[in-house]
Formats: sequence, structure tokens, C-alpha cells
Amino acid sequence: MLRAIRFILNLFSKRHGIVAFVFFLLLGLMMHRAPTVTRESIVSAALGTVFYPAQMVISSLNAYRSVVSENEQLKEENAKLRQETYYASEGLQELARLHTLVRFDDKWDYPIVTARVVGHNPGRFLTTIIINRGTSHGVKENMPVFSMDGLVGKVTKAALTHSRVQLLVDPNLKLSVLERRTRVVGFLESVDGHLLSAQIPTHAGVQVGDTLITSGLGGIFPKGIPVGTVKEIRSADLEVMRMMDVAPFQVFSKLEEVFVMEKEPEWIIQELLDE
Amino acid sequence: MNKNWKWIKVLLVFIGCFILQTTVGSWLQIFGAGPDFIIIMIVSIAIKFGPAAGCFWGFCAGFTQDVYAPVEWLGAHTVSMTILGFIVGQLEEKFLTLNQPAKVGVLGLGFFICDMIYFFMTGLEKEVVTNLFFSKTIPECIYTVVVGALVFHLSMAKKKKHV
Repeated sequence: MLRAIRFILNLFSKRHGIVAFVFFLLLGLMMHRAPTVTRESIVSAALGTVFYPAQMVISSLNAYRSVVSENEQLKEENAKLRQETYYASEGLQELARLHTLVRFDDKWDYPIVTARVVGHNPGRFLTTIIINRGTSHGVKENMPVFSMDGLVGKVTKAALTHSRVQLLVDPNLKLSVLERRTRVVGFLESVDGHLLSAQIPTHAGVQVGDTLITSGLGGIFPKGIPVGTVKEIRSADLEVMRMMDVAPFQVFSKLEEVFVMEKEPEWIIQELLDE
Repeated sequence: MNKNWKWIKVLLVFIGCFILQTTVGSWLQIFGAGPDFIIIMIVSIAIKFGPAAGCFWGFCAGFTQDVYAPVEWLGAHTVSMTILGFIVGQLEEKFLTLNQPAKVGVLGLGFFICDMIYFFMTGLEKEVVTNLFFSKTIPECIYTVVVGALVFHLSMAKKKKHV
């Protein structure tokens, strides 16, 4: 056994590492060319066995350090919130009465799961985070994820104890947005995994500084979650649409806690996603 | 025993670099650009241990980054960093007396090579790549080279002191 290991090691280190280079290069290329299902299983296996436990330990150390200051802050916040609760509950009761009167469906009435961010891409293109809540906590795929500042992304893979969250800056995540002032629906995506850009009809007259929220039309995200503000307006290939750079409300690299909304996609969307 | 200890030491440096990148890396950002400790680590390992170790640790570092990247791009970081480790290791073997300025130059060059291969592998559009090149690659390359120069200088000073 030892001889075999020594032979392999010798083979790899001889000839200026060319054998090792060709081997690792082929392995990398094979991963790149593999079908999506295989790639998904490679990523899931690596996350579940090595990366999640390791990042969980690192994250726990970070969390412990910030717990004291956070506790103080929470105490102050708690006192303020207690004062506000009374007024809020009064307002909610009134709102509920009004909702019943106008038969308005309260889209935000979903249970919320609080989760801690335990891992994110160590590279420069942050498109995915790992949270410490999984199917055992009620988290399922395609559930919306948000924070106190606004929309974060959606759950793409849920394991038993942890889940993978696709961030808004992931080029594969495209969503329908609504401009808050003009109420015009547009389309938001990230083409480079770094910046967010939206396409909104020119006639809407969207200006720099306007706020974008989720439109609720995609069937995954409920209506009204803040997404970001318009930073710069550019012309698009089609004159009927305006391309604009969007500054998200989130600093994705500094996310510590997020909330998963236990909202499953509407049945028609779920069928499309399953297909 | 000595050889095993070397492996453990490199493994610890590898883990340390990832911790550094996920914590200090984001604190050090200036206008969205931060240093890449992972590339500094791969270049350092390749310079110290040669091409075989360079491409092995490049592969490991690339794969770790790929796990958290979009699934469609799986393998892009892996390939680019494997090539980076190998090329730097080869340069070290061919030009055995890589002094400090040369090491810093190799780091900068390696950063560009790595990014170019990565962009090629992801299949991003030309316009997007150009934009990323100016907004990400150039500022981060400069930042990484500055931090790398400091790291090389410190390690050299430590070595001299030891001698």
C-alpha cells in the first residue's frame, strides 16, 4: 500500500510536475464539461462533507466574538420595540379589519425562519452563501431569502441542516421588479456576477434614486420586498427599454443573519421549475 | 516526519488563507476592490515547492472557490488556478534565482493569466469581460501585488533573521 502511494507521489512529482498538471487540468475540465446534474451532485457532496463543517466552525468563532456587542444592542432595541408593539398591534388590528372589508389577500403572512450565514465564496465573485438552516427547519428550495435591508436571493439547494442561497448577483437569478414611484414592472439580473442591472420601459420615466421592489409576478418572491435603488441609467439595445445599474440595499459580503420566508412557489411556477 | 510536517504546515497556511480571505478580505476592500490572498498563497507555494505542489494546491483552492460559485461555472476557478500554480512553479524551476521584485512581477502576471482563463472558461460576453477587466481585474491586481510584496518582504525578512 505504502509502495503504491509512494509510486503515485513519485509519478506526480517527476518530470517537473507535468503528470500532476495534466491530471488536475483534466479533472477540472471534466467538471466543467459535466452535465448540470453531475455538477450539482459534486457541489452538494463537497459542501456537505468538507466545506459546511469547516465553515461552521469558523463562523461560530466569528459569531462568538460579536455576541457581546450584539447583546447590548439587542437589549436597547428590545426596549424600543416593546414601546412600539402596543401601537403596532393596534394598527394591525385596524389593518386586519380593513383587509377583511376589501377582501385583500395578505401576501406576507408566511412563517419566517431565521438563519445564520455560515459560509460564502472565498473568491472575488460572491454569488452564493450557505446558511445553517435546512429541510429539518422547514426550509425548501425556491423559498425567498431576505434581510432587514431587503431581498437577498432564494434557496437553491436545501440539505437536512444547511442550505445554499443564490444571491441577487448570481447571473442565473432573474426576477421581475416594480418601480415604487411609477409602479412600472421591469426585469432585474446580473450579467457578470458582480453588478445588478434592470431593464424598465422607457415611457415609465424612471430616474436615478428611484427604488425597485419585487413585483410578485415571478411566483417565487412576494410583492413588495425592497431590492435596490437606480444608480445610473443607460440606453438599452431596444429603445423601448432602458437599461439601468442598480445599487442593492444589501452588502452581500457582510451578511450575517438572513430570514427565509416559508413561501413555496405557486403551483404553476413549481410545475415549470420541476420541468 | 519532516515531509509530513511540511504538508501539515502548507495545509494550515491554506486554511488560514481562506479564513483571511473570507474575513479580512472584505474588511480591506477599497471601492469594492480587495486583495486576493488565495492567489498570493498559490504563487508562494508554487515558488517554494515547485510546479507539482503549485498545481495541486491551485486545484484545491480553485475547487473550493468553485463550490460557492454558480454551478454552470464549476471548474473555471479550478482550471485557472491549476494552470497558475503550474506556470509559476515552472518559472521558479527555470529561473531558480527569483528575487523579490521578480516574485512580485510573477504574482501580477499570474493574477492576469488566472483572470483571463477564468473569463474564458465562464464564457461571459466580450463587453462584460471588458467591464470586469477594468472594474475588477486591474484594481484588484494592483492591490494584490501591493499586499503580496509586503508578504514576500516579511517572509524574506523572517528567513534572513532565521539564517
